[in-house]
Amino acid sequence: MKPETLAWIILVLPLLSAAVITLFTRRQPGLSARISVGAVALAFVASILLVLGYGRLHLGPGEMLLTSVSWLEVGGLSVDLGLRLDAMSNLMLLMVTGVGLMIHLYSRGYMEGDPGYSRFFASLSLFMFSMLGIVLAANFVMMFLFWELVGVSSYLLIGFWHERASAADAAKKAFLTNRLGDFGFLLGIIMVWSALGTVDFLDIQRALTVNPAALGVGASLAGVLIFLGAMGKSAQFPLHVWLPDAMEGPTPVSALIHAATMVAAGVYMLARSFVVFNVPSAWPGGLDFLHGVTALDVIAWIGGVTSLLAALMAVQQSDIKRILAYSTLSQLGYMVMAVGCAKPDAGMFHLLTHAFFKALLFLGAGSIIHALHHEQNIWKMGGLKSRLPVTYWTFLVGTLALCGVPPFSGFYSKDGILAAAETRPLLFALGLLVAGLTAFYMFRLVFVALRGVPRDAQVTHAHEPGPTMLWPLRLLALASVLAGFWGMEGVLQGVFGRATHDSHGGWLATALAPFGHAPLAAMMGLFATGFGFALAWSLYGSGPAHDPLPEKLGVVARWMRDKFYFDELYAVLIRVTHDALAGLADWADRWLVAGFLVRGTHGTMDVFGRVLRLVQTGNLQTYAFAAALGLAVVMWLMLM
Amino acid sequence: MSPLLWILLLPLLTAAALVLVPRTYSFVIRTATLVCTAMVALIALGLMGDFDAAPVLEGGYRWVQRIPWVPSLGISLSVGVDGINLGLVVMGALVAFCAACVSNEIKERTKEYYVLLLVMTGGILGAFVSLDLFFLYFFHELALVPTFIMIGVWGRGERRGYAAFQITLYLTLGALIALIGLIALYLQSGARTFDLVELTQYLAANPMPVARQVFIFPWLLFGLGILVSLWPFHTWAPIGYGSAPTATAMLHAGVLKKFGLYALLKVAIPLLPEGAKVWLPWAAWLCLGNILYCGWVAMRQRDLNLLIGNSSVAHVGFVFLGLASLTWVGVTGAVVVMVAHGFLAALSFALSGWLHGQSRSLDMTKMGGLLKQLPFVGAVMIMAMFAGCGLPGFGNFVGEMLVLFGGWNSDLVICGGWVPMRWFVAAAAWGALVVAAVYMLRAVRTMWHGPRAEGWASAADPVGLWRKLPFLVLLGSLLVTGIWPRVLTDRIAPGARVIVEGVGRSVPPPQLAAQRVP
Repeated sequence: MKPETLAWIILVLPLLSAAVITLFTRRQPGLSARISVGAVALAFVASILLVLGYGRLHLGPGEMLLTSVSWLEVGGLSVDLGLRLDAMSNLMLLMVTGVGLMIHLYSRGYMEGDPGYSRFFASLSLFMFSMLGIVLAANFVMMFLFWELVGVSSYLLIGFWHERASAADAAKKAFLTNRLGDFGFLLGIIMVWSALGTVDFLDIQRALTVNPAALGVGASLAGVLIFLGAMGKSAQFPLHVWLPDAMEGPTPVSALIHAATMVAAGVYMLARSFVVFNVPSAWPGGLDFLHGVTALDVIAWIGGVTSLLAALMAVQQSDIKRILAYSTLSQLGYMVMAVGCAKPDAGMFHLLTHAFFKALLFLGAGSIIHALHHEQNIWKMGGLKSRLPVTYWTFLVGTLALCGVPPFSGFYSKDGILAAAETRPLLFALGLLVAGLTAFYMFRLVFVALRGVPRDAQVTHAHEPGPTMLWPLRLLALASVLAGFWGMEGVLQGVFGRATHDSHGGWLATALAPFGHAPLAAMMGLFATGFGFALAWSLYGSGPAHDPLPEKLGVVARWMRDKFYFDELYAVLIRVTHDALAGLADWADRWLVAGFLVRGTHGTMDVFGRVLRLVQTGNLQTYAFAAALGLAVVMWLMLM
Repeated sequence: MSPLLWILLLPLLTAAALVLVPRTYSFVIRTATLVCTAMVALIALGLMGDFDAAPVLEGGYRWVQRIPWVPSLGISLSVGVDGINLGLVVMGALVAFCAACVSNEIKERTKEYYVLLLVMTGGILGAFVSLDLFFLYFFHELALVPTFIMIGVWGRGERRGYAAFQITLYLTLGALIALIGLIALYLQSGARTFDLVELTQYLAANPMPVARQVFIFPWLLFGLGILVSLWPFHTWAPIGYGSAPTATAMLHAGVLKKFGLYALLKVAIPLLPEGAKVWLPWAAWLCLGNILYCGWVAMRQRDLNLLIGNSSVAHVGFVFLGLASLTWVGVTGAVVVMVAHGFLAALSFALSGWLHGQSRSLDMTKMGGLLKQLPFVGAVMIMAMFAGCGLPGFGNFVGEMLVLFGGWNSDLVICGGWVPMRWFVAAAAWGALVVAAVYMLRAVRTMWHGPRAEGWASAADPVGLWRKLPFLVLLGSLLVTGIWPRVLTDRIAPGARVIVEGVGRSVPPPQLAAQRVP
């Protein structure tokens, strides 16, 4: 089959699955799960076939396959339902369907016995459809469509246990925070369309290659607005607050959506539309003071600040899923920073490796939570190494990959990001600090939750889950180790038209390549990781019963634990802005418009009526007197 | 005979026939209403399918037929549709059928009720197919009067008297102001005809002086604006719909309210282009009142119907913004919003009507966790609420997106150019994407999610496909228009183009002329 046909099949399969489960098999949970897993398995196989077929075409690095159906055509606006296949979307296809398959399989075990089993798999299929839509989208509007659909499926899955108030609130918060970002995204798309007359990625790229100033005076503003969309979806500061709360969803959802795929969509979007950001600085009237700042500068700094803030917050959390959530935030910040440093290939590489090891970590955490009957506090764990050996070892693989220890995949992708930031000393230092913090909080987690002695009686009853949940762990662990060697880096560099680092010297040369082409970044990164590990070892290696850090850091530790009070700040902000405006408008509506104007008119008429009724007494003398008085007035007026 | 005459006459003739049926035969009466509305809906859908094949007659209209009535004044019963009318007719016919379906909640005086429902249906559809200003206005009034009676007689709640009074006061006043405008237009044009096609051609050849246009246009803008709840003349709408019987709210909010917008688009703007350019900036300001102010008001509502009513008023703002933009994309988007919002408003009121039937209360603070108990109604309402905050996949998104895209490139001069139209677009986008999402999701959270509320033990979903049909038809229509928007836009766009070109705006705007790189 042609790759284009396969792409359509890959996109439609999960949608079919969602529709069939919703309409027909709601009451047959087992069948629903099989349909959903089957759809994603077929999509995975089709993706492999697609990539093989694509490879046989021997396309150059800048070439791609396009296929489209016209979706909307009015005036100067033409939007296609278009799919775009190039090396980047192929890698994403493999990752999304591959990781998705692992997590679907794992969910069959994890969600067993839940009354909403069918609904869970229907939502998961809907999510896969939306995510694959983002991956394959060939234009901005189509990406926006699926962008929103991803938001809804995330809403449905975060709020999966919607009877729980916290889950329902978290779902709402996630959707609304994302909507703030989408507001900017849509305006940015409109600005690009208004300047270039097209929303198609390829057409935009061609137009901007011919004339980088084609976006006009709004160029940087449009870039920042589009980036706002990525800030929402990839939870970048200051729109990062929804992601930790999103952990209210079932753990497989956290692994798939809030670690591996959806949150990475922001980074993917930045890479996909990189040409829009990579233009000379230009601001409209009123924003002249930003003269010289490019959209990429904004992106780099937002990414950097996010990665640091999130890493600091992760240090003082005690919920295992929240630690991983903040770690996700921090790593997403890394990726965004890489894009901002004009190395989208490095960001994408980290996105792909991160997908494997972060999904692995979340599934490991899910296995622990499952074993401990939904206990998530790491200070009630400990001593799990002997009781959950597979979980422990695979979790350790994920941790090493995340911390960037060679030869695990995270080392290579993180090295690429640090190398990208080398030219900017401040961001480079920030990146190193984050690398150290990452090692610190991850090994804090490992030492407290997995090693040492049990801190709670429940731990002694813990045992490994069944094979449906263990095999995904093993396979993802394998991927986390190997993802650095597959040559993804070179492929991605090719997509962005950069020279690839030659590494034809066998696997050892590949493994050591970072020390060759970016020795400073590689060495410093390793040093920072080692330092973080040593610090974690000294504080938590002995298995303390309580966290010793708050005593040492005092109030700073409390700030970290309370997430620097962003939630509280936003609550106040919403109260003084939107809620106040809503109150004012409601008051005005009730009293001024409806009360005064309408009832006023009504009342005036009423008073007239009453006054006039008084005159009609039915008394003949009164009428005669009134007539005489009238006559007198008229005569007086005439005679005067 | 033009099929449009069938659409117009079937409901009115059925209503006349039902008057003769004894009131005890309520089953016959209801069945006749259902069959009649279903037939009208099928004819309308058939026309949608035949649209491309039908020959285009004068003025770009299809299936045109004229029956002279008062030749001395130039009045004739003439019908015909282009893509804009047809979208509204199909929407109106489907909503009328669904409204008839949910009318089984009415248990008293059913004969009078169904007769009025059919008159309302015939009136609305008649207004949308009429090409004669006299009948355009007449059919609208014919549909309007049953609204008042239905709220007063079959309405619900303590405030129904006040609501009926207020809605009558406002809408009669609005219709009266618009009538003054129409008469002035007729007299000042000098064409001595009420025929829309002839009038358009005559005025294109002999334009009215600008000063006269500027004088007449506000009568139409504000008169029709009151009819469609343009801010600040909107307060009748939420209260009126809150007290109306379900079917009346569906038909009025969904279909009849579109008449004002339709007349603005098809009569006021093409016939008074210079007046439009002077007065539409005002509409742009006021539509922000709809989108933002009413959105904020909706955030504070505790009664579900008041929330839906305010959100429906907010959506009207997008139509105004699209019309005010006077761009091809924007005007097309405005019509798409009109159609999609018709489905959405009808669906929302049908659902709230079902909830009211279950509990006699729509106080959201007394609801909670109902999704478990009412999975069907809950799921459909959550989808309707997502449609209301502009989620892709539903028709509203397509319309709002087109309005925003069109508005951005508008040449409209506001406040002498000091306030760019783009700020209005940004504010409207904020209203669509953020404010709407806030009140919709808060409502979902309060009503459907969270712990189960007390006092809903006897509430249940509709059982069987027949009872679910009206909800499914409306939801399906929203999905079809959202997933495959060309079904609407390809038919609407040519009509919108004629209007935009008629006011002297270039199509498409020059700065966009086909920059698609080969």
